[in-house]
Amino acid sequence: MVLKMAETSPPTSCASSPIVASPMGTPLRKVLNRISGLASSCRNKTGYRGRCRRIFHRDVEQEEFQYASARCLSSYYSVFVARLAIMIMLAILIALLTVLTWHFTKMYTTKSLNTLAFGLRYELLQRPILRMWGILNSTSEITTAQVKLSEYVMRRYSKPSTQAELVEQLYQMMKDMTWALFASRKALNAITINYKNGFVQAFHRDHKNNSTFYIYSDLANYSISGTESPGNKMLSMRQGWNDQFIRGNVSAIWYREPLDPISGEKTGKALPIPPDEVINIAGPSQVPDGVASWHVAVSKYTDSPLLSAALPVWDSSNTSIVAVVGVTTALFSVGQLMKELVEVHSGYIYLTSHEGYLLATSTNAPLLKNTTNGTKLMMAVDSEDRVIRMGAQWLQKAYGNKFPPGDVVHVEKANLGGQHYYIDSFFLNLKRLPMVGVIIIPRKYIMGKIDERSLKTLIILISASVGILVIGCVCILILTNGVSKEMKLRAELISHLNARRRAEASSNYKSQFLANMSHELRTPMAAVIGLLDILICDDHLTNEQYAMVTQIRKCSTALLRLLNNILDLSKVESGKLVFEEAEFDLGRELEGLVDMFSVQCMNHNVETVLDLSDDIPKLVRGDSARVVQVFANLISNSIKFTTSGHIILRGWCENPAVSSDSVKCSPDQKKPLSALKTKLKHHGNHMKKAGKRDKKIVLWFEVDDTGSGIDPSKWESVFESFEQADPSTTRTHGGTGLGLCIVRTLVNKMGGEIKVVRKNGPGTLIRLFLLLTTPADGTEQHGRMDFAKHGVAVILALHGSMGRLIMSKWLSRNGVPALEASEWNELTQILHELFHPRTRNCGFDDHYSRGEPLRSRIHSLQDMRNPVYIVLVDLGLLDLSTDIWKEQLNFLDNFSGRVKFAWMLNHDTSNAVKIELRRKGHVLMVNKPLYKAKMLHILEAVIKERHAEFHKRSPNGNRGGSHECVEIDSTHFETCSSDDSEISEKGTVKSNTANCQTPKNCLVELTRLGSEVNILRAEEDECNAWPKLHDTEDAKCENSNSPEQHYVSSSTKDEDKSYTSKAANGEKSLEGLRILLAEDTPVLQRVATIMLEKMGATVIAVGDGLQAVDALNCELVGKEHRRDRMQTDICGSPPYDLILMDCQMPKMDGYEATKAIRKSEAGMGWHIPIVALTAHAMSSDEAKCLEVGMDAYLTKPIDYKFMVSTILSLTKRSA
Amino acid sequence: MDLVQLQRQLVEYRTSLYHEGFLDAQFTQLQELQDENNPDFVVEVVSLFFEDSERLLNELTTALEQQSVDFKRVDAHVHQLKGSSSSIGAQRVQKVCIAFRNYCEEKNVEGCLKCLQQVKHEYSLVKTKLESMFQLEQQILSAGGSIPM
Repeated sequence: MVLKMAETSPPTSCASSPIVASPMGTPLRKVLNRISGLASSCRNKTGYRGRCRRIFHRDVEQEEFQYASARCLSSYYSVFVARLAIMIMLAILIALLTVLTWHFTKMYTTKSLNTLAFGLRYELLQRPILRMWGILNSTSEITTAQVKLSEYVMRRYSKPSTQAELVEQLYQMMKDMTWALFASRKALNAITINYKNGFVQAFHRDHKNNSTFYIYSDLANYSISGTESPGNKMLSMRQGWNDQFIRGNVSAIWYREPLDPISGEKTGKALPIPPDEVINIAGPSQVPDGVASWHVAVSKYTDSPLLSAALPVWDSSNTSIVAVVGVTTALFSVGQLMKELVEVHSGYIYLTSHEGYLLATSTNAPLLKNTTNGTKLMMAVDSEDRVIRMGAQWLQKAYGNKFPPGDVVHVEKANLGGQHYYIDSFFLNLKRLPMVGVIIIPRKYIMGKIDERSLKTLIILISASVGILVIGCVCILILTNGVSKEMKLRAELISHLNARRRAEASSNYKSQFLANMSHELRTPMAAVIGLLDILICDDHLTNEQYAMVTQIRKCSTALLRLLNNILDLSKVESGKLVFEEAEFDLGRELEGLVDMFSVQCMNHNVETVLDLSDDIPKLVRGDSARVVQVFANLISNSIKFTTSGHIILRGWCENPAVSSDSVKCSPDQKKPLSALKTKLKHHGNHMKKAGKRDKKIVLWFEVDDTGSGIDPSKWESVFESFEQADPSTTRTHGGTGLGLCIVRTLVNKMGGEIKVVRKNGPGTLIRLFLLLTTPADGTEQHGRMDFAKHGVAVILALHGSMGRLIMSKWLSRNGVPALEASEWNELTQILHELFHPRTRNCGFDDHYSRGEPLRSRIHSLQDMRNPVYIVLVDLGLLDLSTDIWKEQLNFLDNFSGRVKFAWMLNHDTSNAVKIELRRKGHVLMVNKPLYKAKMLHILEAVIKERHAEFHKRSPNGNRGGSHECVEIDSTHFETCSSDDSEISEKGTVKSNTANCQTPKNCLVELTRLGSEVNILRAEEDECNAWPKLHDTEDAKCENSNSPEQHYVSSSTKDEDKSYTSKAANGEKSLEGLRILLAEDTPVLQRVATIMLEKMGATVIAVGDGLQAVDALNCELVGKEHRRDRMQTDICGSPPYDLILMDCQMPKMDGYEATKAIRKSEAGMGWHIPIVALTAHAMSSDEAKCLEVGMDAYLTKPIDYKFMVSTILSLTKRSA
Repeated sequence: MDLVQLQRQLVEYRTSLYHEGFLDAQFTQLQELQDENNPDFVVEVVSLFFEDSERLLNELTTALEQQSVDFKRVDAHVHQLKGSSSSIGAQRVQKVCIAFRNYCEEKNVEGCLKCLQQVKHEYSLVKTKLESMFQLEQQILSAGGSIPM
């Protein structure tokens, strides 16, 4: 069974797998087709997009694109392969699952059902057979019982008595007895007793019409005498008997007597019937060997076969047969049972004899057939019932006559007429009557549902798996679509990143390129400017030409400034900007800056004020040039947009103690300031913490102007490159918009921040902080004098209200009472109030009513004991347009005994005024603008003079022509000149579009400031106001600048002329200097030599570094004294005043040579300034130059002016 | 009249030199530096340049003929040549020098040789031009005229 199952299941799985595989095959092909289709479409698409891109962005590199598309394509392929793989795997998985599920469900149900079905069939078949068996048994029992009874009865009546009576009695007895038996068994068809003498007694029951008959033969012909034949004659007798029987039977008359089936009473008349018509009478022929026999008989009256059993009845001696008893049972009941059984189970059962004759069926088909010879048994194969016939035929075909041992057949699936049936047969081996039972059950009945179900299951499974497969494929497609989309996006992102990187790189290249080009760019500009300078020096130019040349020079400097800005930016961008770390005096730098810009501002009627809080450390470490550049840019920017009012540069130190101070400085900006402060508090705190260790300080600055202001929406963007608050500003104010960008970049690089802050009132307030280090010893505040104890009072008679206000506040904070006057009349009033409180001899002061506060303050001044009044008078207060100023001076002279006058000069103050002032004994003169340091110096000078007066006790100390001079500007000379060209360039160009005269002014002023110092200093006879540092400087400065004196005296002349004279002076500015020039290129060597010689210097040119070192050594050894001066020189002074060193030279380059020179110098105690000449204008080169010990550096080709200023500053310092 | 014509010729010639790019502002600067103290300054410097350049060109030629070219040395020479040519304003020579240096950095012998040829060519051109200009100046001076600027 199981084996069969196993045999049958593979076909199913085989059948299922093609079903699963065939839908797999087509999608596979489809997917493949799609892949190729998509790939080609993708190729097309990218190609299309590429074309678009190429159209829209022609500059996108084709190469990049191809690369991207190739990548794209390959990624598509990989996506498709992945898709395919996933789909195939899914399909296989689902198919496997399907097959397994189906197989297991089907196999197990089938198996168990088969077992059950087998049991059922067996049971079904067993029951009719058992019934059959029971029928047989009962038949045989009855037969046996009949036989025994017959024997008993016959023995009893076998005594020879009266024959007739006896026989009558015997037969009657037999009849009764037989009836009893017959009646007891309803199933019996007939009982026959055939006596030896041929008498037949039989009971017959017709089941059809339920009538019972008694059949007997005619008694007259029979006698029992024949029964007493001797035993030895037995055989022959029997033979003879038999013959007699047959003959006798034939001749005998049969009667049939209907009986009451229950009581056995006679109900009708006996009718004669032909013998053997109704029933088979079992004769002795059926028991030839004296044993019971069975056979199946047919009867006319029944349509079912009859089972007959025959048994002989022996006589008492057991030697002869006296009668034969036959019992016939209808097999009808078996058929009935079968019908019943089959009714329930819907099948067919039939019994056949061994020969194949049908004995019983579960159908109503007739079992007998009528032939001409009478009814006969039917073969099963001839059965009218289709199924039975076919089943029999099938069995016959399958097995023929060779039934398997035991005749047991079980067939699961027999195809009978297009339907499957189970066929089972059993063999019932009865003696003389072997029977075969066959049961045919339609397979549908047992397995029908199962088959149906399994089919349904299979269909459902397959459809479900196909559905899942389709859905899965769709999902995979969608998923991978998403993935491929993502991949596409990613590829795009990557290409964008690449593009960006490229753009960045190219931008970087740009910066790099610009940085590298700086030399190439600056060189021609420097040449142009230098040549223009030379041209300007030319005395033969006509005025017209001169004007043009100066214009060209201005434009050139403007261009150079722009170049410098761009280069600065690109340097920062390319990361090449290196900040130097050097100590510098921040205050002084800023003062210099304000000095410079004030000149420019005065033309604009703008007041420039420097307001640095006292806590700002004097010395800080950092890149002074860059710091100055920041403020220069900011201030120049402010100047550009400020037409009137003031520009204030405030500075304070981030420090909790001072923050209140700073707020005091800018009380009106307290709120926005605090807002910013809180915002930056964290940062500041952090800085402070760090500052504890590194001595870092946060310096806050504000540039506050009253200009046009910036729209708040532009506050951020003004710091972008080429960005201006209003595009129209370029038209009106000029500029490139690079200034603030550079400022922010620089500030950020210095660890600070810059932003525009809201301010009350018009204008802009830019606030920034810088992170600078202070040297460990530089943090202490410079000794602040306690002015209060000196009893000093100051009257500020100044034009600029802002500067005056700030100054007076500062003075008040430092214990110096201050009074303010903004114009001449106020000043006179104050003076009158102070010194002539009662006699008001100046008539016009009545027109002015002073406020009570002023008066009270004047009174408080009067309360001071022995005060020193310092009156700081702005020259602008005097009426210079007419000659009134002389009167005014005379008026002031009245007070000269009691007050000290200090004068604020304008940059364009005519020399006549100065001379007049000096003549009158006013020697305290400062240039505008006024700031802390200048005020401090004035105060110090006055106090010291006073002390001197006290000591000398000379009442006419300052009257007798002793000209004490306080010139504050001189303190800046050095610092200014160090970056002379840079600042002057900036200063000049900043407003060149607005006012073309300004640069000239500025230039002139710068030099004049220096010259004034010297003039004044030349007149100096007491140096008590000066630290000794300046003493040593004097001689040198005087020397180098003395030719400029004549210029000062003629400063009122036409500016063009003054420039000429200045340049003419500059020509000889290097007079007397010995310069060693180390330059390998002969051409350059020659040019530089001529340039220097033109300026009066003595040049010794050498070809390389080695020669330079040698030349120096030779001089040192003293073997070669080319100059008398050298011989007279003391040993302690260097042989050259300066060395110009080319950096790139054969044999020994500039760096090496410098190192060598510095090394040899070590023992000598001097320091020859070495200026590098380099073709590279990079900060890194500068750093390298400075690192090896050079003092400055110049870029080639040499800028005439810059070289002079550099040389001058260096030689002065070393002198 | 002859003198005036000569002077005009000189001016035209010089202008053409500027126009054709043989000379640039640097040469003008040189001329500016020439004064009564150094009357032959330009000629002096230019002849210095000629000497220097010829030396450098010779060295370059030999250096590039070597089996293994010492590019560092070549570069140094070219740098010098560039410096001196830019100093006299021979800008075409200078431009070729820049290209030459690029090839040096790439260590491209072919390019270097090509550039050397170009440099030689440019050099000889500028030399001829300058020499003829000086000749003109000489003629003017010998004729007793002054050199127009």
